Amino acid sequence: MMKTGSLTKTIWAAFALSALFGSAAFSQEAVADVDAVCANPTQAKGFKTCADIAKAEAEGELVFYATDIESGTVKVLQDFEKLYPKIKTSYVRLQAGALYSRLLAERQGQSYLADVFQIGDVGLVMDFQKRGGYARYLSPEMAAYKAEYKSNPEGYWTWAVLMPAGLAYNPNVTSEAEAPKDWNDLLDPKWQNVVSMKSANSGMQHVTWYMIKENVAPDYWDKFAELKPRAFDSMVQQFDRLVNGEDKVAMTAQYAAYLEYKAKGAPIAFVAPSSGLPSGPEVVGVVKEAPHPNAARLFLDWYLSTGGQKSSVAHWYFHSPREDVEPPVGALPLSQMKLLFPADWEAYAASRQDFLRGMRAMSGLQ
Amino acid sequence: MAVQAIDDGDVAPVRRGMGPTSQGIITAIILLICGALVIYPLFFLFAESLNIGDPQTFPPETIGFGNYADMLFDWRIIGNTLKVALFSTGIAVTIGFILAWILTRTEIPGRAILERLMEIPFYVTPLVGALSWSILAAPQSGFLNQAWAYLGGSGSIVDIYTPMGVAWVMALFEGSVAFVMISAAMKSMDPALEEGSRVLGASKLRTMLRVTLPLVAPGVLGAAIFVFAEMLGSFAAALVLGIPGHFYVITTAIWELTLSYPPDYGRASALGISLFVIMFITLAAYRWLVSKGAYSTISGKAFRPRRMEMGRWTWVLAAFCWLYVLVSVLLPLGALLLTSFQRFATVLMHQAQFTMQNYVTAFSLASIRDAIVNSLVLGVGTASIGVFVMVLLVWIIYRSRLPGAGVIEYVIMFPQAVPRMVFGLAILWAWLNMPVSLYGTLWLLGIGYFTVLLPLGVRTLAGVVLQVDKSLEECARVCGASWTHQLRTVTLPLLKPGILAAWLLLFIASVRELGVSIYLMGPNSKVIAPAIVSSWSSAGTELTAAMAVIQTLTIFICVMLMFWATARLTNQGKST
Repeated sequence: MMKTGSLTKTIWAAFALSALFGSAAFSQEAVADVDAVCANPTQAKGFKTCADIAKAEAEGELVFYATDIESGTVKVLQDFEKLYPKIKTSYVRLQAGALYSRLLAERQGQSYLADVFQIGDVGLVMDFQKRGGYARYLSPEMAAYKAEYKSNPEGYWTWAVLMPAGLAYNPNVTSEAEAPKDWNDLLDPKWQNVVSMKSANSGMQHVTWYMIKENVAPDYWDKFAELKPRAFDSMVQQFDRLVNGEDKVAMTAQYAAYLEYKAKGAPIAFVAPSSGLPSGPEVVGVVKEAPHPNAARLFLDWYLSTGGQKSSVAHWYFHSPREDVEPPVGALPLSQMKLLFPADWEAYAASRQDFLRGMRAMSGLQ
Repeated sequence: MAVQAIDDGDVAPVRRGMGPTSQGIITAIILLICGALVIYPLFFLFAESLNIGDPQTFPPETIGFGNYADMLFDWRIIGNTLKVALFSTGIAVTIGFILAWILTRTEIPGRAILERLMEIPFYVTPLVGALSWSILAAPQSGFLNQAWAYLGGSGSIVDIYTPMGVAWVMALFEGSVAFVMISAAMKSMDPALEEGSRVLGASKLRTMLRVTLPLVAPGVLGAAIFVFAEMLGSFAAALVLGIPGHFYVITTAIWELTLSYPPDYGRASALGISLFVIMFITLAAYRWLVSKGAYSTISGKAFRPRRMEMGRWTWVLAAFCWLYVLVSVLLPLGALLLTSFQRFATVLMHQAQFTMQNYVTAFSLASIRDAIVNSLVLGVGTASIGVFVMVLLVWIIYRSRLPGAGVIEYVIMFPQAVPRMVFGLAILWAWLNMPVSLYGTLWLLGIGYFTVLLPLGVRTLAGVVLQVDKSLEECARVCGASWTHQLRTVTLPLLKPGILAAWLLLFIASVRELGVSIYLMGPNSKVIAPAIVSSWSSAGTELTAAMAVIQTLTIFICVMLMFWATARLTNQGKST
């Protein structure tokens, strides 16, 4: 190993030149952070906002970076567009790790495309805040959210979605009596080669990995690895395989996915493990240097309002952190579930490397 | 349409002087741009492979060879890559040889239509092939295993989520080029030798094995090496079918390493560079083989292609061709079509529910509509600009007297030796750090497509350009025409049919492009192939199937339109 020397200095002159030109090429109207809710929020279409609506409409565009199911994302954005047809929406959808890497690579190259960023891994959220990636904007709608659901100081990010995960199976393939009732039941060798989980790219998988290690058994994942689980990028792939009988049990089965497949009429049953459901949030915030900052603020206000949250619940089947928004149709309220959230989010974030190593070993990459 | 195998040994161009200033200027500009497009991203890739510090820091602050040393721990992944590439090449070349022999050397019913059907796998994105075979041959629920169970069989007869399954799909959808290359060699083979063998009493099978095969062996070997290099960089089948079976190859490992947080760009780049080295050596071997005059069956003697009458074997051979069409076209597209009409994807018919909703969704979602339109715009743009620039490049390489033309040819062929995904990553880094902010636009995708399709376009057009007798161009120059005037009035009109075929090839390759698009696609520059991957991973198989059907149909309609236009042009040429 050697530190960068004169040779590399010469080589990287090209980078420096590029970066110089890149900064010059970047020109955009800067919008200052907002560290207090404005004195007189505008009553918009069903929500309150401190955004300049005329400027937002003049910007004419909103780019949403999110990890959620694409079909739901499109519908949520369409609901916003119905209210503000002059603002055209677009999105980038990737799994949490992939999305965050992409966002950071873009910012490193001073390509600022994202306006609003929603991700399901609090560790990555904390990292992005430390890197100064979020713009601070105190939405009038944030008052409806508990203090523990918001950044400290408030205004950088807010929990917008709550996601519990349990176990799922196909009742046409596995009987209720045979299905696992708790996490430890899943360690039975009979589930070898027929169990799936989410990939290391998933924020939900990280929470599940962490909470089971903390709450069930520290060596749980070593035993689980012996089942040779298959890892998938999304819950859709997990549930498709359950429906077709390729796998018998899905762990890290998101309750939202179960509700969506149930609504389609697919043969899926959900198990809420008796020792609890690992749970995490989707966290939303406005990105610093957003190309459409006013549209981003307007969207955030709408999204955190009852109208935006109802849209989220309807199209993604997620539970809302707002207590005045009903759970998805056919879903149990969160109060009737034993949710397991990490008590120490810093410790959770610090566990990322162990998590990655363990997951890559289980999925055959290492 | 055909990818022409080029006998570089035949290339003995009369090198001209640089001539008028316009020629010199245009040549310099084109070489500079194309060279930069190829070399600049590779420089970033190599630099990143030396990054052993923070992967998020550009330029790297700490460099060393740690990432290369770490590859010792990736021996299993490298072994998997070689294994699956060897298997798939073996299958593709065997199938390609048998099909080429049947269709070029024997008389079978429906030969013309079969030749056309053989081209369809090339129009089908490998990703679509992988998706459809996951529906057909999943161990529990695949159609083939369901049919087996229905007939009373127990267990599963096929499992596509295995290394052999990955190799099979790669061979079917990425190895169709083997058939095209071997057919080209066989079509140019003098049948007198086979006839001599038959006259001396050898059976048809013995003639095929003892005469035909040795004669085309160099051509087959060339095709095998070329296909092997293609398979090394293959991605889609390994993504869809390999990862669920814990089977990683280099490209899927790179995918995982670069699309996770923290990304391991250094390790991914080192793996990419190692693949580049293997592919470069392989392709250099291919070029050496071709330049040795391997196609010794191509002689100056005129001959009339004659096909053998195969008697009762005729129907067996025809059945083999139709079997290939069945497994590479009819079954996969049928499975996709069925799935695209389902409410939730299932091959268990007792629980299936049918709907048109997936097509309604696909056409109503602006993102999907935009992706289809963007792909078509990029396809037309890349093919049109690409063909124009590549014709000039071919002329510069093979017909001008430019010093170092061979080196330029090698540089232009570099992207062939770099897996698309790796090149996509390199282009991403290169253009994120460029003074001109093109990231997230269709322009960058267009530049990326042009760069990675340079080898395909140049090889195809070289075959076309070299068919034109140099004396025609020389006549124009002797008569006082400038270089540009000669190109416009003599060279390009003569090349028109070949250029149209090359245009079509570049258009199809652009519309089905995946590896580069994955990294360069932005929120407002979505294209169809990565949109299908995204849909597969997050929207469900049924919507993905609908999108795949739409993509395949779009390509098919465009191909038909181009065939129609080419036929009209050819007829017009004949009538005048």
